[in-house]
Amino acid sequence: MHHGEPTDVREDRATDDIDARDTAGVLAALHRLSALGTVATARGSAVAPPVHIPRPDSSWLRVRDNLLDRGATVAYATWTEWLPAVLTTPRLRPLLARDWNRYERTHDPAVRCRFAASRLLIKYTAAAALGIAPEDIDIAYRLGGRPYLRGLDQVEVGLTHTGELMAVGISRMGRMGLDAERADRRFDLDLMRRGMCTPAEAAELDALPADQRAACLLRLWTLKEAYTKALGQGMRLPFTEFGFGLALGGLRAPDGTAALGDEWAFATYPVLGRYLVSAACHDAGLDPAGDTSVGTMLDRRLLTAMTPPGHDAPAVDI
Amino acid sequence: MNDNLTAAAPGAAARPAARGPRVLGGGAARAQYVEDLLGDPFADGNPHGQRALLAADERREAPAATEELLGRFGLAAEFVPRPLGGRLAGVEELAQVLRPVFRRDVALGFGAGMTALFAASVVWAAGDGRQRRDTARRLLDGGRITILHREFVHANAILRGEYSARPAPGGGYVVDGRKEVVINADRADAFVAYVRTAPGDGPDSHSVFLLETGRLPAHAVHRLPRARTHGMRGAHYAGLDLQQCPVPAGALVGKPGEGIHLSLRTFQVSRALVSGGALVGGMDSALRYAVRALGESRRGLVLGGRRGRVLAGVFADLLACDALAVAGLRLLDLAPEHALVPSAAVKYAVSALLHEDLDELAAVLGARGYDRSPAYGGFQKLVRDLPVAGLGHAGTADTQAVLVPHLRTLAHAARRGESWHEAPAALFTPGVQGGALDFRRLDAEPRDPHHGCDGLLAALLGAAARLDGKRARGRRWAALADLGRAFAAEVHRLVERCVMLAGRPQSMTPSPAAYVLVDRYCLLLAAASCLAVCENAAPGTPDGALLAEPDWALLALTRFGRRLGLEVPEPPDGVAQDLAAGLVDRYRRGRSFDLYGMRLA
Repeated sequence: MHHGEPTDVREDRATDDIDARDTAGVLAALHRLSALGTVATARGSAVAPPVHIPRPDSSWLRVRDNLLDRGATVAYATWTEWLPAVLTTPRLRPLLARDWNRYERTHDPAVRCRFAASRLLIKYTAAAALGIAPEDIDIAYRLGGRPYLRGLDQVEVGLTHTGELMAVGISRMGRMGLDAERADRRFDLDLMRRGMCTPAEAAELDALPADQRAACLLRLWTLKEAYTKALGQGMRLPFTEFGFGLALGGLRAPDGTAALGDEWAFATYPVLGRYLVSAACHDAGLDPAGDTSVGTMLDRRLLTAMTPPGHDAPAVDI
Repeated sequence: MNDNLTAAAPGAAARPAARGPRVLGGGAARAQYVEDLLGDPFADGNPHGQRALLAADERREAPAATEELLGRFGLAAEFVPRPLGGRLAGVEELAQVLRPVFRRDVALGFGAGMTALFAASVVWAAGDGRQRRDTARRLLDGGRITILHREFVHANAILRGEYSARPAPGGGYVVDGRKEVVINADRADAFVAYVRTAPGDGPDSHSVFLLETGRLPAHAVHRLPRARTHGMRGAHYAGLDLQQCPVPAGALVGKPGEGIHLSLRTFQVSRALVSGGALVGGMDSALRYAVRALGESRRGLVLGGRRGRVLAGVFADLLACDALAVAGLRLLDLAPEHALVPSAAVKYAVSALLHEDLDELAAVLGARGYDRSPAYGGFQKLVRDLPVAGLGHAGTADTQAVLVPHLRTLAHAARRGESWHEAPAALFTPGVQGGALDFRRLDAEPRDPHHGCDGLLAALLGAAARLDGKRARGRRWAALADLGRAFAAEVHRLVERCVMLAGRPQSMTPSPAAYVLVDRYCLLLAAASCLAVCENAAPGTPDGALLAEPDWALLALTRFGRRLGLEVPEPPDGVAQDLAAGLVDRYRRGRSFDLYGMRLA
């Protein structure tokens, strides 16, 4: 741990402890390597920079605009910021719905509140995107663990939490995955490198100064987590079977060549000055409508066309 | 008519007539013939193999040699009803014949074929004698026809844009409008077009026209360039621009203002074929790549491992989706008046389930999932093609428009308290001689033979009750009976929630809770079909034996239960391994992974 660290970053940081990491150093290293930011798909869809939503009643405007303009957006907060809402809202039970049992059964109050806060963030973010009330959002899970909004497939969601941070991603282009880590997270460099890196990544890492390797490994880790979560595989897709460049860029095969076409958007951003958040978002190529609101989802002409003659109103008001 | 003056497609006269060789036999026989014509997809020299098809996809071209092959077989005759000189009888048979094509190349299945049926089905449903004869002749003579949809709500690029028409002073109509992403718009000589003929949002806002470019002035018709799509690249998406185009009165199909009704009627067929043809066929191939990948790993085909369990699960889902899809197809053949709601549920469920399973397969394939070589390249092509085939969210919203009102029907049926009549077992016997679909009997009104009960949900209740009597057969049957009971309880819970929802004060837009219930309802129908096909399976053949045994249904219903958020136990020991062995057995014997288990080339 360094003491008396100046806030600006020196190019030639000298340190005795090459395993020591600090947040500023990690983020500065990634910045120097042009590893932070967002990569758009060829069609121009991208994950917009994450938006801080400190309370449920904060403005959701930027989240909605990002979704419309860029195709995907991320909302984040700390669970402690949302704690007052969890503790004081009279609607907690209808808001949590199917998750209420798990909330009640959890003994540790901190764990319980953190869980509730993350569910609320998902529901509020999705509700903002779709123009409905948070109580109407039903979070369900695919067999691989990927969350989705039951009955509402105009958007896909991704979620992650670490430490105090919780983040929710919403995309109208296709599947989305998120991962976050503390920027000063400690880990065994060699173990990570062997367990996670493709041959091409390992070679690129080896060419770097030692004090930048940890930062790059952390970024690669969050990107690979985000990507496999977008695929709905969690940990099941071996990380050594796909890779990234050390600078901002797209997916690569293990030998370093470009792996897929231009239909995946990736992003890595620092958040709250101390976390790293990565997002992976697939563009399924359908060029979907900007309008994601639930209110316009059903074609009223079809509904009226199906009403048998003799009825006054379309038999749909359910 | 002088080609310079009309908007006829270039080279229209040059294609071979589609009357084709006399291929006798039912759907299964003709399907086998097509499969053998296409040959081994992985044989290096095969002009209709993966090497050639992937190369064509890279060039964004339809594979010419294979299109020509299908033309010589007379694929178009499969879309023309028998009374009009074609081979079309039932749509289950049609889906069987199309599966070899869809297993080979999803885009080819649409571009060389199925899109033509989407268009022609409107003429079969509501065209007059001349329109029916002309359309039949056009298809049999090798011409192309495609469909111009109206603009959907929440439209994606493929469903955006529409045409409008006003009456012309001397009779007929004048049509304007533009669509940019339409299959075969660059090559078609006829378009079935949904055209807005009245302002506003009423159900009579659109009419359908049969636009024959050979009869339209060239100056009013502009074919727009090829549109680049990410998936189905070889499907020749292009556009059509009409500017003050005079259209004769005889081009109107059906009555003015009948467009919405016609779309409700004919989409039932499109949805059933997309599900039972493209999606099931495509997933069959995807699963095959995954099985091959496991077979080539250093440890050989590991049946008991985690990856074997994944493949067994996907196999179970595929069979269950096929059970639902075939039930939908057979319903169209046997009782088309009652197919409106079921066909929407089929599309919803099959799309959602198989897309999820494609992800699972991608993990098994790992790095091979990005491979573009002929051995595995077809997989990444499927990953791109299948979402486009399913039309994404706009396709879902279209089915939800049909399914959300059905929840009220369920609520009413429950309040009346009568017992429900099960859908007939004839729906759940794939490949058994069915009816011939009479397009004119398709209905836009949701209707059940017994006034508002739900025959497919009732079939779930019935199958579950009968399973109770089979517990003595063994542990696996007892486990299946337990699952049946859990699903029966879920049916009742769903219906209760429909009652609750129907009791709320009425509003202009449906409650979002309705969409959640629709999602759950469709999963229940998949479970119903799965149990019913299992119950009705004849154990005589090797593939029939697999269906008559409980393993696939056990695994499928466990997965459906988890997807519904129910607490379901793990299947008994060995179920996944045994089903994986069944999968490997089909692979080694060169059989398809769907309900039919047909021999592959």
